[in-house]
Amino acid sequence: MTEAHNPSDTKQRRRSIWIPRMFHTLRARLIVSVALVHVVLMGLFTWEAVERQSQELHQELINQGHSLASLMVVASTNSLLSEDLASLDEVTRRVSDQADVVYGEIVDVRGYVLASTRAGRVGQAVGSAIEHNDNFPLAAGDRVFDLREDVRIGDSRVGFVALGLGTENLERALAATKAKGIQYIIIALIIGSIAAWLLSLAVTRNLNELTLAAGRIGGGDLNVRVGVTSYDETSTLAKAFNLMAASLQRSSREIQLEHRKRTEAERLACVGEMAASIAHEIRNPLAALINAVKLLGHTKLEADDRDAVTDIVNTESQRLQRILNDFLTFARLPAPSMLKGDLIETIEQTIELIRHDPLYDERITINRLYDDRSHCLFDPDQIRQVMLNLMLNAVQSITDKGQLILRVTRYGQRLNISIVDNGCGIPEEAVSEVSKPFFTTRKGGTGLGLSVVQRILAQHGTALSITTREGSGTEVSFELRVAN
Amino acid sequence: MITMSARPHLYSFNGLANHSIKLKAWLLAWLFIAMSGASQADQSQSNHLRFGVLPLQSPTKLAGMFLPLTDYLARVLGRPIQFVTSTNFSRYMDRVTSRDYDLIYLNPLLYSRSREHGYRVIAKVASEPFTGILVVHRDGPIKELSADTLPNGLRIGLPDPDAYAATVMTRQYLEDLGIYIDEQMQVEYFGSQDSALLALHSGLVDITGTWRPSLRSMPEQIQKDLRIIAETPPQPQMPIAVRDDLPEDEIERLRQALIDLPKTQEGQAIIEGLGFKKGFTFATDAEYLEVSK
Repeated sequence: MTEAHNPSDTKQRRRSIWIPRMFHTLRARLIVSVALVHVVLMGLFTWEAVERQSQELHQELINQGHSLASLMVVASTNSLLSEDLASLDEVTRRVSDQADVVYGEIVDVRGYVLASTRAGRVGQAVGSAIEHNDNFPLAAGDRVFDLREDVRIGDSRVGFVALGLGTENLERALAATKAKGIQYIIIALIIGSIAAWLLSLAVTRNLNELTLAAGRIGGGDLNVRVGVTSYDETSTLAKAFNLMAASLQRSSREIQLEHRKRTEAERLACVGEMAASIAHEIRNPLAALINAVKLLGHTKLEADDRDAVTDIVNTESQRLQRILNDFLTFARLPAPSMLKGDLIETIEQTIELIRHDPLYDERITINRLYDDRSHCLFDPDQIRQVMLNLMLNAVQSITDKGQLILRVTRYGQRLNISIVDNGCGIPEEAVSEVSKPFFTTRKGGTGLGLSVVQRILAQHGTALSITTREGSGTEVSFELRVAN
Repeated sequence: MITMSARPHLYSFNGLANHSIKLKAWLLAWLFIAMSGASQADQSQSNHLRFGVLPLQSPTKLAGMFLPLTDYLARVLGRPIQFVTSTNFSRYMDRVTSRDYDLIYLNPLLYSRSREHGYRVIAKVASEPFTGILVVHRDGPIKELSADTLPNGLRIGLPDPDAYAATVMTRQYLEDLGIYIDEQMQVEYFGSQDSALLALHSGLVDITGTWRPSLRSMPEQIQKDLRIIAETPPQPQMPIAVRDDLPEDEIERLRQALIDLPKTQEGQAIIEGLGFKKGFTFATDAEYLEVSK
């Protein structure tokens, strides 16, 4: 038979493979979710702040550059026109004192440097055309923001100033902003996780109590109830749980009462049935005895007949005695005395008893299939009685030559004992009846043998299993607990 | 075409030793000379003509006046012209002496000196007589110029000892009247015509020597507050000269362009911006022989 697969179960299983087991709890999911939300929101906020500050810092540097370049233009115009190098040098020297200035130069209309903060540049030709001003972002590896501004008189251009501003301070400020942003993210993560953890505690505290209570109900304690201390969803669940527990407890009481009534009725019925069975079993031999005793009272009775009647009296009285002994054995079965021992020894002792039984014959072969590990806990006398009854039943089912297999097999912490015969088997309709007291298909049998076996096995915590096919044979088996 | 490599240095500072300047300027000059030698190859690639204008006004104002003219001349020549001036007359003449400029605009006296260094006049300012004027405050203490009535100890403001119209001609004019300014007055030089006029207007001096174009360039309110008390006899006008190693055809084109200025609307605007009445006219060295004497 194939198992039906639910697609959603398959998806769930596949997802579970990728998610570690510890994250399957509600608490872990809550913490992770809240922390994730904090990190994402804080990350977005930080990214936005860094981006904004980056733009502001860039704009500030651009404005600073343009202001400084404009000041250079104003300060150097007259000196540039009159080629007053000392004054131009004073201008560039003052410019170099400003923050972030990497270089400053004043170039005449021909493209010759008239003053520069950089050594060796004065007098060099740099070209009269103004290259394009830098824009942010700068090229990779470029750490200088370059600005050019014309020096104009009216519409005529008489030179230009070149200014380079270093971006190290700007980048340092941006890096500091980013570091601070990461700190905020980490703080948000910690605070969010703690808040989520506290929230999860509040949510799952009541769930834990419900889980424990459910476990105790599962263990049979139906008196357990959970406290309802809040007005949230878990308190609603707790109320429902308490109602369910009360309902279960009520149902359990009703079931117990019903069971007690039924047991009492069955017991009374069983007593009646037992009494009827005993009366039935005793009535025949007793009637034979009464008739025999009446016949013995007749004086005209021949000697041969008298002997025959005397045999009947003896036979029927012995039968009565046997019935009473079996019944007493069945009715007063003592509590087992569990000992640790080798089961095979007990089985071999039983086989020896069978060999001396008149029913046993050389026509029956006994095969032994024993496991070496055959020590277990059992009452030797009672289990010997069990083995004796089962083996006698097997032997008696074999009408001709036959085979008896005794198998002892260990399965984990259990020993399986099995007796297989190739006798006549049990009719299908009689299988359910064979264990009932006084049921027998054999002449002279009391019908208490299997009943005694069932009672002894029940006291050992096990039961008899019967597998049979009429005309082929029967296998009976039971299990015993291995001794540690 | 003459390349800039024909000259030993971009700038010459030979005359600096004769003047009181800062040590720093010297160091920079030497640095510049050293660097200019190293970058001579670069300089030789520059195609600019340098138009040196006598610092009669502040550099910016002078540039505002002459840049339209240099742009115009550059278009005519088909090569760029750089406008430059100097901090004072002395340094200007140092550069003239070292032939640092291709074109020069200066006064007749300084022109007569520049001839020794290879400069030749190609045009002069047209029409208006070249005179020096003496200007006083309209409400000032000087009402007339007379050796008898002029009190001693007056302060006179002049642009520069070498300013021809403003200083040389006015000084001669006063001497002809019997007024010796070095003995009877306190002489102060202000570096430019504008500065001298502004000093008069603000009361720093009692009388100023200058010339008409500078007075006309002053704001109207200042012109109203001042008045011309005397004007010298005329002399040859301010010349424009070229260095003698410029190609003849360029010299001729420059001359023609200057003379043709009033013929176009743009030229008239340039003349107006310069503060002249009619622009430029043809001039010869012979006109300035008298000045040099």
